[in-house]
Amino acid sequence: MEVFFQTLVGGLGFGAVYALVAMGFSLVYRTMGLVNFAHGQVVMIGAYAASTFYMSAHVPFFVSIPVAMLVTGLIGLVIERVLRPLENKDFDLMLIGTIGFGMVLESLATITWGATGHAVPSPVDTAPLDLFGIRLRTYSLVVLGIAALATVALVLFLQRTKRGAAMQAVAMDHEAATAVGIHVGRSNAIAFAIGAGLAALAGALVAPMLYVNPTLGGSLGIKGFAAAILGGFGNIPGAIVGGIAIGLLDSYAAGRFQAYSELVVFLVFTVIIMIRPTGLFGERTVNRA
Amino acid sequence: MRYRIGAFAVLGIAAWFLPYGLGPYGIHVVDIAVVFALLAVGLGLAMGVGGQINLAQVAFFGVSSYAVAILTTRAGFGFWTSAVLALVAAALVGVFVGIPALRMQSHYLGIVTLGLALAFTNWVTNSTITGGADGISGIPIPPLFGIDLSSEYLYYYVELIVFGLALGFAGFVAHTGLGRRMRAMRDDSLAAGAVGAPVPVLRMTAFVLASLYGGVAGVLYAGLVRYVAPETFSIANMFLLLAMVIIGGRQSILGCVVGAVALSLLREVLIDFSVYAQLGFGVVVVLMVVLAPTGLAGIPARITRVVRRRRTAEHHATLRPFAPASAPTDGGTGAGLAISGISKQFRGLKALQDVSMSVAPGEIRGVVGPNGSGKTTLFNIVSGIYTVSAGSASVDGTVVTGRRPHQLSRLGLARTFQNLRLFGQMTVLDNVLVALDRSSMWAAWRYPLWPFGILRAERDLRVRAGRLLDQFGLTDFADAAPKSLPYGIQRRLEIARAMATGPRLLLLDEPAAGLNGEEVGQLSEIVRSIRDSGVTVVLIEHNMGLVMSLCDRVTVLASGGVIADGTPAEVAVLPKVIEAYLGDSMNTNDIAAEVSP
Repeated sequence: MEVFFQTLVGGLGFGAVYALVAMGFSLVYRTMGLVNFAHGQVVMIGAYAASTFYMSAHVPFFVSIPVAMLVTGLIGLVIERVLRPLENKDFDLMLIGTIGFGMVLESLATITWGATGHAVPSPVDTAPLDLFGIRLRTYSLVVLGIAALATVALVLFLQRTKRGAAMQAVAMDHEAATAVGIHVGRSNAIAFAIGAGLAALAGALVAPMLYVNPTLGGSLGIKGFAAAILGGFGNIPGAIVGGIAIGLLDSYAAGRFQAYSELVVFLVFTVIIMIRPTGLFGERTVNRA
Repeated sequence: MRYRIGAFAVLGIAAWFLPYGLGPYGIHVVDIAVVFALLAVGLGLAMGVGGQINLAQVAFFGVSSYAVAILTTRAGFGFWTSAVLALVAAALVGVFVGIPALRMQSHYLGIVTLGLALAFTNWVTNSTITGGADGISGIPIPPLFGIDLSSEYLYYYVELIVFGLALGFAGFVAHTGLGRRMRAMRDDSLAAGAVGAPVPVLRMTAFVLASLYGGVAGVLYAGLVRYVAPETFSIANMFLLLAMVIIGGRQSILGCVVGAVALSLLREVLIDFSVYAQLGFGVVVVLMVVLAPTGLAGIPARITRVVRRRRTAEHHATLRPFAPASAPTDGGTGAGLAISGISKQFRGLKALQDVSMSVAPGEIRGVVGPNGSGKTTLFNIVSGIYTVSAGSASVDGTVVTGRRPHQLSRLGLARTFQNLRLFGQMTVLDNVLVALDRSSMWAAWRYPLWPFGILRAERDLRVRAGRLLDQFGLTDFADAAPKSLPYGIQRRLEIARAMATGPRLLLLDEPAAGLNGEEVGQLSEIVRSIRDSGVTVVLIEHNMGLVMSLCDRVTVLASGGVIADGTPAEVAVLPKVIEAYLGDSMNTNDIAAEVSP
């Protein structure tokens, strides 16, 4: 029982990170129907940017995060601008285009920071809390807290601001949105930038938990992606539930199957998605003939 | 065509003499490039022809390489026995990876296949049977009638022959019935099902073909390098392979080969700057999808298009008049349609409630009603796109609800779509050919075993397609892309495509939408002629003039239920209908005057 809870708690920290990655995916997907396969690489750039500022410029960790978010936000703008001619035309091509961007970002990271990567010391180094015999890493709590704050901020932005409402309108019908005077391109660009910013937040938070290297994006991105699909693509609360679910599955598989955890996670994911292709909270889309 | 054969011959000869000009390292690089070319052809078949995003191609490659390695070194099988078993294993994995494609498409499929590829790498790096991160060495040299295949020069010729056969087969599949059905599915899976292409089987076929090419590549790789390790089958290589296919042109088999060979060689040239090479490939992929989505293979066509546009002022193609068929083709009068008690709910929304109607053989039936009254939903149910919540429909006594669209197409049911669903990246001729092709998927056994049968059937189809295009006056547009044609011609093409399936019951969903007055007149003539040739016609239409003059009987739907059923003259004067259709304050004398003779 104790092992079970320990695994559960261990999965929560990563789950929060996956949830942030999934939220970025979902935000971009719901506004422009595009799945950004470079998202994982943006997370990796965010992790590098934050940890580099933190370790070499000796700024506090929580100051380096906004800087990293700015950097990736700009990258997001560039990706969106380059792929804009394909928007609402050919999603498969856009998907491949983002894979191309992923390759570019990964090689740029290797050129800038080298192929070996670096470890990042935890910015919160207090002893783990002991709660009924379960050890809680303080840093995991910090991650959970920040992820929750980011979620609330995103939801408020989407629901309470004019810009957010405009993005929702574009998501529902980009032609109608154009007709009422919304600049669809700009709205998409902002969605992309925010998504990339969330990626940097996820990357920065995960940096002290993992070893930061250029291939970090691959598995983080795919797991975040799996989380987004599991929660129902485009659904923000779903992304959080999906993220936590993948985090727990990951942590459980790591405990039970050790090195084979990735294999188990993806097989389980495939089976779930076969049974419910629309995810847990996704809307059933109807083919309109 | 003659030029093409000549070019192939020249390339073949050049490839045959290539090793004489290469050093030992050069030939190794070329041998590896051939393996990648095979992989790229498989990926091109799945992605470019079949439209299935497949990011597990390296896993197919890996499964077969590892199968050869394990079976030869650990189980003691001979190389060629292992090779055959490895192909079987790759095909089985292809089926397994393809199963998700039955339920999801596009990016979902991309992530699932990528996840499965990662699962495969995870397994090979950790399992003891695969030798973990060290891989497996000591794969025996493939024996071949005493030819020493440890020489990479001689191995090159084995590869070349296998590759030539594989390339020929891929081209053959892509340009005949099977490939045409796959392209139709890629362009519009709903419409492909409606013209009789079995979409689920085709999706699996795309994955099995991809996995077989991956399998052949894996066997050749194992025999060439005689050592397998996880990094060969990494995601980075998957993306490299994707770059090859995109840069070369995914919809062209030759383009995939060009891309694969070019990038393999470039990668070797830039081996000391591999990171910069990856950066460059990524940049080129991004530029390609934005600027030249058809890849290198599409560039000649684009150039000729520009040149031709400059040279000839305008292409003088004209829509010829429709030529009515002389007599009923099989003497039949069409099929009767009986709908009884159909209800359809989308979550809370009741789109149809207890709808019943029956259409007699040889009738032209109009279905009218305000927008949102459930007309198209009814068509979607009858044509197998939706399932029903309750009730059933039958055509000539055969229950059609609960069957897939392609099965219904075989029963003699055809339809058109409200918003036009032509196969956008295929020519007009191909659009018709897909529908004319009534062969069962079982007939695909002839592809490996009796290709001449396929060619003969192909020739026969083309003759019939020519006749059909002639009849519909579309001959001048046979090679045009549907999207480049005026709207009225596209509408007519859609009817021609539906008629190509040889239906006994034809459902037309708003066939007059967007047509001008003259075209509506032609449509009316076409529909009558179709009925006279022995086909029952049901049409949804908002053009009341057309409905009133054309239809034998009219069914009126409102808010998901039938509110009237009768001859046009009877229906048009019913107060209920007038209220539902026009609102109660409208002056209805005009319509009444138009209808009464």
